[in-house]
Amino acid sequence: MSSLQGYVDRRVLLILQDGRVIVGVMVGFDQRSNVVLSDSKERIYSIDAGVEEIPLGLYLVKGDMIVLIGELDDAVDTAVDLGTIHAEPIPPIRY
Amino acid sequence: MLPLSLLNAAQNKPMLVELKNGETFNGHLVNCDNFMNITLREVYQTNTEGDRFWKLKECYIRGSTIKYLRVPDTLLDAVKEEQNRARDAGRGARGAFVSGGNRGRGAPSRGGRGGRGGPMRGGRGRGRGA
Repeated sequence: MSSLQGYVDRRVLLILQDGRVIVGVMVGFDQRSNVVLSDSKERIYSIDAGVEEIPLGLYLVKGDMIVLIGELDDAVDTAVDLGTIHAEPIPPIRY
Repeated sequence: MLPLSLLNAAQNKPMLVELKNGETFNGHLVNCDNFMNITLREVYQTNTEGDRFWKLKECYIRGSTIKYLRVPDTLLDAVKEEQNRARDAGRGARGAFVSGGNRGRGAPSRGGRGGRGGPMRGGRGRGRGA
C-alpha cells in the first residue's frame, strides 16, 4: 500500500488542481489523502517577477484537490534564491 | 495527526474556507462531521474574483465542495498537547492495572474489565469531549 507516512514531519511541496504550489511541513494526513501542513507558504511563480512566497500558516488541504506531493530537499531548497527564479505559473486543470 | 482531529479542535475558532469554485468563507466553526461538512457562524463570504462580499449569520458547507481550510497556528500545539495528555492518561491507567496485577490475575474477568473500562472512559472520553 502506498502511504504518506514517510512524509510526516518532512518539508513537502504540494501542487493543487488549481495550479497552486504550497510548501509546508506535513504534520498529518488521512486515508482520503487530506493533508495538514504547518508553516505553509504559497509560492507564486511569474515570468516577469521572481517567486513570491505568501505565508499561510496552518493549512488543511482536501485530498480531492491534491495533484502531487513531493519531499523537499531542505539543503537544496534553502540554497535557491527564489527571487531570481522566473517561471510560468502552472495552469489549473481544465475538464 | 489526523486532519479531522484538527478540524474537531477548531470548533469555535476562526477559520477561512475556500471552495473548489474559489469562493471563500471567513467565520467561526460551529460544528463539523467526518465528511468535513461544516457550519460556520458570523460569516464573510467572497465570490471567486474576490470583489464582492456578503455577510451571513450562519452557513452550512458541504465537505465535498471544500478546497482547503486555513486554521489558527495555535491549534497545532493545542491538539498535540491534548494527544499527549490522552496518551499519558492511558499509560498511567494501564500501569496501575499492571501493578495491581496480583489481585487482578486472581479475578481476571472482574479485575481486568474494571481496570480497563475505567481508564478508557476516564482518559479518552474526556479527550474527545474537550
